[in-house]
Amino acid sequence: MQTTALKLKSEEAGGELIQLVSFNLEKEEYGINVLMVREIIRMLNITRVPNTPHYVEGVINLRGKVIPIISLRKKFDLMEAEYDKRTRIMVMEVVGEMMGFIVDEVSEVIRISDKEIQPPPPVVSGGIEQECMAGVINQAERLLVLLDLEKMFTADERRFFSTVS
Amino acid sequence: MAIDCEDQELLEGFLAETTELLEKLDDDLITLEKSPDDSELMNRIFRSIHTVKGASSFLGFDFLVKVTHKTEDVLNRLRKVELSLNSEIMDVVLEAVDLVKTLVADIKDGEIVERDIETVISKLIPYLSEGAGEASVLSPAASATRKEPAPAPAAEAPVTQEAALKEAAEALEEAAAAAQEPAAAKEEPAKAAPPPQPKAAAASKEPPKQPAAAKGDELADNTTVRVDVKRLDDLMNQVGELVLERNRMIQLHSDFQAGLDISGFTDDFGKLSKRLNFVTSELQMQVLKMRMLPVEKVFKKFPRIVRNLARDLGKEVDLQVFGEETELDRSVVDEIGDPLIHLIRNALDHGLETPDERLAAGKGRVGTVVLSAAHEGNQIVISIKDDGRGIDPERVSKKALDKGLVTEDQLASMGQREILELIFLPGFSTKEQTTDLSGRGVGMDVVRTNIRKLNGIIEIKNDLGHGSEFILKLPLTLAIIQSLLVEVEKEIYSIPLSSVIETLRVSTRDFHMVGGQEVLKLRDSVLPLLRLQQTFDCAHAGEDRETCYVVIVGVAEKRVGLVVSRLLGQQEVAIKSLGKFLANLPGIGGSTIMGDGRVALIVDPMGLIGGGESAGVRKSA
Repeated sequence: MQTTALKLKSEEAGGELIQLVSFNLEKEEYGINVLMVREIIRMLNITRVPNTPHYVEGVINLRGKVIPIISLRKKFDLMEAEYDKRTRIMVMEVVGEMMGFIVDEVSEVIRISDKEIQPPPPVVSGGIEQECMAGVINQAERLLVLLDLEKMFTADERRFFSTVS
Repeated sequence: MAIDCEDQELLEGFLAETTELLEKLDDDLITLEKSPDDSELMNRIFRSIHTVKGASSFLGFDFLVKVTHKTEDVLNRLRKVELSLNSEIMDVVLEAVDLVKTLVADIKDGEIVERDIETVISKLIPYLSEGAGEASVLSPAASATRKEPAPAPAAEAPVTQEAALKEAAEALEEAAAAAQEPAAAKEEPAKAAPPPQPKAAAASKEPPKQPAAAKGDELADNTTVRVDVKRLDDLMNQVGELVLERNRMIQLHSDFQAGLDISGFTDDFGKLSKRLNFVTSELQMQVLKMRMLPVEKVFKKFPRIVRNLARDLGKEVDLQVFGEETELDRSVVDEIGDPLIHLIRNALDHGLETPDERLAAGKGRVGTVVLSAAHEGNQIVISIKDDGRGIDPERVSKKALDKGLVTEDQLASMGQREILELIFLPGFSTKEQTTDLSGRGVGMDVVRTNIRKLNGIIEIKNDLGHGSEFILKLPLTLAIIQSLLVEVEKEIYSIPLSSVIETLRVSTRDFHMVGGQEVLKLRDSVLPLLRLQQTFDCAHAGEDRETCYVVIVGVAEKRVGLVVSRLLGQQEVAIKSLGKFLANLPGIGGSTIMGDGRVALIVDPMGLIGGGESAGVRKSA
């Protein structure tokens, strides 16, 4: 019901419709463009990889392909939490590479109009790194933070590679 | 001109066949030059070129037919001994074959570029004229035509030298005229048929494209596979067995679910997994074999290259090739071509002396270069050996110093071996002058880079005054390796078996500290230790054991003992990359997937011990 309501609302607002996958991290709701997401899987056995940034949990075997797993909680400096049965790995293609991101819970796919996206508030002290926030979506009953992981990773990769090589 | 061949399959067949024939042809021609009386070989060459001609005329590639036809004619005269083979004729024939290669490459690319066919044909023609004996007299005329910058579309059978020159001059003018007016080319009264397309004019505006040997090389790319039917049949059989085992497994499962014969289940399942193990390892071998190519694929280019180089350098060289039937993975085959060319070039250019120098040094006039390949365990060993002057370490160190690649202090502390390895530095060259052959100091760097890419090892054996030998040791395949699985505080790591020298079970009391470094006294040497638990920052699993295991790994001349908690065993593992994001982790070379579906990391001993820098020239000791 909620989705249809949202959908109607966004159609009223006009503009181009985009679909977002919404997920939760530490009670906050985030959205990511559905086109980025390859699949959403349950937690698997993660193999730790030494000498990586702290937010890299390790690697998993995704049907014969080895992909790195990143904890968004650690990445965003949130409190660490135990994995439970709602914990999911969102497998996404970021800058041409498959990567998995651990989130607390994946809730739904929502449609919004791109007109609803507001620029991020000017100063966000602490918490999410400003660079990968693409905007916020402010609706009556909810507030969604729209992420642009591509941005986060180009900057990050650069930093990581420069320390390694 | 795009190719409008109605039957794509036919065209592909033609390309595959022609490519193969041409590759063989090069080799045969060089052999023929050495043994001109081998009529069997002569006939084979003739048949090859005839086949190419027949096939191209069938598919309507007129330009190909023209070149091959003339080449065939010359070969025919050679065959009938109307003409005696000499190096000039061979040059022209080889050039014609090169042109054919270029043309076939064009067809393969799907775009026919107008090439300068006539120059080559005009060079062949003198050998077709009646006065067979005069052929060699006429050849200067032919080379005169060759030197003309523009193609000479109308040069036809110059009978005398003067005529040839005159014709060439005329041809030049005609070419210029043709460039103005495309139609003119067609109406040319000269007997030589103009190229089939008016585009000839466009071509003659540009500098003539020399049929480059490099273009010919591209023909030999490995995008398609030709597999022995027998191997394919074997594979099919294996797959058949796999299907049977699968059916058996389904049966077993449903029996189990139905609750039938629970007691026999474990037994049956054990048997099944044994058979499955057998079938899959067979299957793996079969597929691996299919990926294997004889190294001949690379080696057969070399007689030609050596011949040309030797002539350009004024040296006499006898190239001996051994073990060309040795098979290795196609990905390796693709990569070793370049390094080998550089090494052979170096052997000829730097290694071998000129005939006079050789005589003065008390050697035979003709230098020998031996190219050989052989299997050695899980590796292939390729060696390039010459009996030339060898590498002079003093000259090498002096040059490196002059070029500012090393400092005096660094030199002073270097051993003989390290000095020789200076030649791999980019920018290093002992040549005073840069020639088109060498002197830029790039070659050995290319060798090093490519061999490093393949996880290979280079060894230099040097005997000053008597020659040098470069030995390349390469893994048979890049995809699957033998590895030792170890456990480090409950985490599993895999160490490539190729770098494991031995494993030991030791008591921690035998460890000593020397200068802040943990070491182990091993027989008469002192071995530095590396605790993987610390290097990889593993969480402590809580059990402190009196004894632990040490895996001794070797990289170059270095030996390091890796301290691990347990040895799990040897396993063949398929290497999976960690992706771009985690590509450059120190000490981690990749990952593999274990039997239970979990990922295990592969340790990169080179990264652990050597650091990035000295890793280039590894040696197996």
